[in-house]
Amino acid sequence: MEDYKFLFKVVLVGNAGVGKTCLVRRFTQGLFPPGQGATIGVDFMIKTVDINGEKVKLQIWDTAGQERFRSITQSYYRSAHALILVYDVSSQPTFDCLPDWLREIEEYANTKVLRVLVGNKTDREDREIPTYVGEDFAQRNNMYFMETSAKEADNVEKLFMEIAHALIEQAKVREPVSEYKGGAGPAIHVNSSRNNSASSESCCGRLL
Amino acid sequence: MTTIDISQVSSLEELDALEEALNKEEEECDKKIDELLSNRSEIEFQLRTLSKKLANLKPVEAEAKHFAEVIRNTATLAEDVSAKVRVLDKAKNRVSECQQRVNDLLDLQQCSVGVATAMQNEDFEQAAAHVHRFLTMDENLLKHTAMDVSEGKNMDASFHKLHEAEQKLKQVVIAKFDEAVKDEDLASVERFFKIFPLLNMHEEGLGRFTTYLCSKLRETCQKNLTEAKLTRDKDKRASVIYADSLTLLFEAIARIVEIHQPLIETYYGPGRMLSVMEYIQKECDHQAKMIVDEFRKHRDFIRKIHIVTQYMNQKSETKIDPKELDLVLSELTLLNARTELYSRFVKKRVTNDVDVSITDESEKSEKLSNLDRLLKDGDTFRVMQVVLGQYILLEQYFMAESVQKAVEMDTLIEASSQESFVLSSMTDDVFFIVKKCIKRSLSSQSVDGVCAVINNACGILESDFADLLLSQLRQGFPSGYLDLAQAYSVLQSSFQHGKLQGSDIEKSRAHFVAYLNNTDTSMEYVTSLKSSLESSMNDSFGQHLTPYEKDKITSCLQGLASVNIRLKSVFEFGLSQLKSSAVKPRVKPWLDAFFHARTSYELDEDQFTDDSVPMQTFISDLDSILKSFKGCLSPSAYEAFINLVTTEIALQMEKSVLKNKFNRIGGLQLDKELRILVGYLTNATTWSVRDKFSRLTQMTILLTLEKVSEVADYWGKGPVTWRLTAQEVRQVLSLRSDFRSEDVKRLKL
Repeated sequence: MEDYKFLFKVVLVGNAGVGKTCLVRRFTQGLFPPGQGATIGVDFMIKTVDINGEKVKLQIWDTAGQERFRSITQSYYRSAHALILVYDVSSQPTFDCLPDWLREIEEYANTKVLRVLVGNKTDREDREIPTYVGEDFAQRNNMYFMETSAKEADNVEKLFMEIAHALIEQAKVREPVSEYKGGAGPAIHVNSSRNNSASSESCCGRLL
Repeated sequence: MTTIDISQVSSLEELDALEEALNKEEEECDKKIDELLSNRSEIEFQLRTLSKKLANLKPVEAEAKHFAEVIRNTATLAEDVSAKVRVLDKAKNRVSECQQRVNDLLDLQQCSVGVATAMQNEDFEQAAAHVHRFLTMDENLLKHTAMDVSEGKNMDASFHKLHEAEQKLKQVVIAKFDEAVKDEDLASVERFFKIFPLLNMHEEGLGRFTTYLCSKLRETCQKNLTEAKLTRDKDKRASVIYADSLTLLFEAIARIVEIHQPLIETYYGPGRMLSVMEYIQKECDHQAKMIVDEFRKHRDFIRKIHIVTQYMNQKSETKIDPKELDLVLSELTLLNARTELYSRFVKKRVTNDVDVSITDESEKSEKLSNLDRLLKDGDTFRVMQVVLGQYILLEQYFMAESVQKAVEMDTLIEASSQESFVLSSMTDDVFFIVKKCIKRSLSSQSVDGVCAVINNACGILESDFADLLLSQLRQGFPSGYLDLAQAYSVLQSSFQHGKLQGSDIEKSRAHFVAYLNNTDTSMEYVTSLKSSLESSMNDSFGQHLTPYEKDKITSCLQGLASVNIRLKSVFEFGLSQLKSSAVKPRVKPWLDAFFHARTSYELDEDQFTDDSVPMQTFISDLDSILKSFKGCLSPSAYEAFINLVTTEIALQMEKSVLKNKFNRIGGLQLDKELRILVGYLTNATTWSVRDKFSRLTQMTILLTLEKVSEVADYWGKGPVTWRLTAQEVRQVLSLRSDFRSEDVKRLKL
């Protein structure tokens, strides 16, 4: 039996080529593999992190951005604790697709899911989306926001750690007396009712 | 040696001490001098021997000098010799080079003559062998040599001839090869295929040969597809005929590899399989696409996908009967499974070939990543990724719709031939459907496909199915003083007559009980579904599953554990409904009646009885409710139910006890009655109920004490773990009318 207090599922979505796999690789292995081929289906990685002395296991699902994998990737939304929606700051089209992605999230994901907007590739000199535009979009849609560079390892660690942090807080609010003693199974009980809206946990703001 | 300052001496004692010190020093000096003198003879002896030995050293020096001289001479000589050897070696090398070149020259002549003859005789192998020999020569060097020996002219002619012959031979071989292909003369095709590498035309040869193989592939494939299209619906394989066509295509490629790999390895050397597969894959892509296109056309696939997508996105109300999808779903998984199998085959073949032929690690990894790309981005695989996506979509629809149907056709049934409790048919049906769908996904051999279907199944169970159970239980168990046995008989007759009979209240009671059983049974089903899938996962994938892929599927299967967490909460909700409408309203009046019958607990000794009539009445009331539920609840639901009842009784009884007054005999009477009750309940269950009554039991201990001070024998000592607080102990003791309240207050707890 593994020793951890919480297990969270984190799912990355967003257009093809925005750097989802690179973000995950950077975080889990500390690598930036150049010339990464497109992800086929869904990749899955695990990393256990320490948040204030508590072991947190992050199960990270890195989905393929291409359209033909949509029905595979959609099946992962429902059980996600956090969804990271990624775009490429140097590519307007990837930003323009965000509303479509949000529609998918609304349709398939849990209402309480933690939603994070990430503008990746800040190392690029041909930036097309200024920070405030992304920030604004996140604010309007009740999402956390962060800009990252998987290549320069900028904000990547922080992104995942902040998510783990926020999820623990959320879990504690929902379950004031945590009786979970490690082992298999999700730390966060799946919502007993779907139509319970999580108005108390509106999560708007910058993760900084 | 210390110097003595006389001026410091001021008394006689000091002077004496000084003198003594000086005397001592003098003694020591004498001793040292004696010692030195005694060594003198030894030192002299040593000096003598030394001077004797000195005389011997002279000749040694002379000899050493001589020896050095000899060595120097030898070294010079050796160097002279080795220089000569080096020169000889060089000469020898030149001679052999010379010989080689002479040989080359001779061969050149022979080749140029031989080529002509061979060409004339159409002995292309011979001609190619000559050209091959010629191609191994260093043309520039030979020309140089020829000039030196003034053979220039002759040789230029030979070169010219051979170059000409080479070009001609290349053309002829290509032409002949093409001609053989056209004539379908397999022997000739192979004959010329073997000649290409002799002319350094490896890529050309492989290219032409694979093109030829591909054309054969195309032919067979077209023939198969035409036949497939003509297959009549009644044919046994009709429902999977396109999967069969794809299988035939892959098998044909496998056969080509099987037959020609040894040939290629022999004549072209190892390490060629990646190029060969790249050539063949192009044709494979083309053919696979055609097959899938035909599949889509003939299975009315586009329409189905369209309807399902529109329906799932709530853009249209039009549906398809899930039954209509059953066959096409199987064929979809089969298409995918074949592709996975083929991909594994290619991967294994090429990887083995790369492993034996390439030693450079970076080159090897580059080749392998090329292979990876071939197997991911090739059209065949892209098309299959689309097919898999569509399969998942249809499977999701099939599962959801079938579950919906099962719910619509829900009827009450007896759990099994051994168990008489009632549940409804949808539980069995829903789990049958879910299992069927996931098992079907396993046959696709695609890890991502399996994971997605498991995820979707968990979604349906955790949301739709659990919501349905919850909403049914939310309607509640109608209360009212009516014997539950009636509800049970309604259930019994219901599946005999196919529908619920009896009054509305009875019907809804029966319904509630059935859904509580549904929920409980579902949890069992989920657990067994999980373990059965874990074992069938190994059966269907075998050793093909990497640890990473296994983890992936296991993580998705973990979703079923979440389903059970949800079902458990639904089940607990149902129990709480039952508690508030069936348990609480009964236990309370029964207990009231019990305490009412036993007007007082302040008894005389002759009023004490062993068999308490009020308790007998209470137990018989209790027995009737337990019996009526025992028949209609599933075993574990019944256990939960008794647990509920027991907790409630203990709670209510505690409250009532606190409202009464006791003397010691009364306490003993209550103790007796409690024992009867616990005894009854223990018989009714499989687990110990004592724990539930431990607070009450402890209360009776207090109520049966002789003196207040006896509390000290129990409190904080002995094996009793007190469930009562100090304050509660005082409260209970104060129920004793024969104890003085000052004594109770004075107790130290």
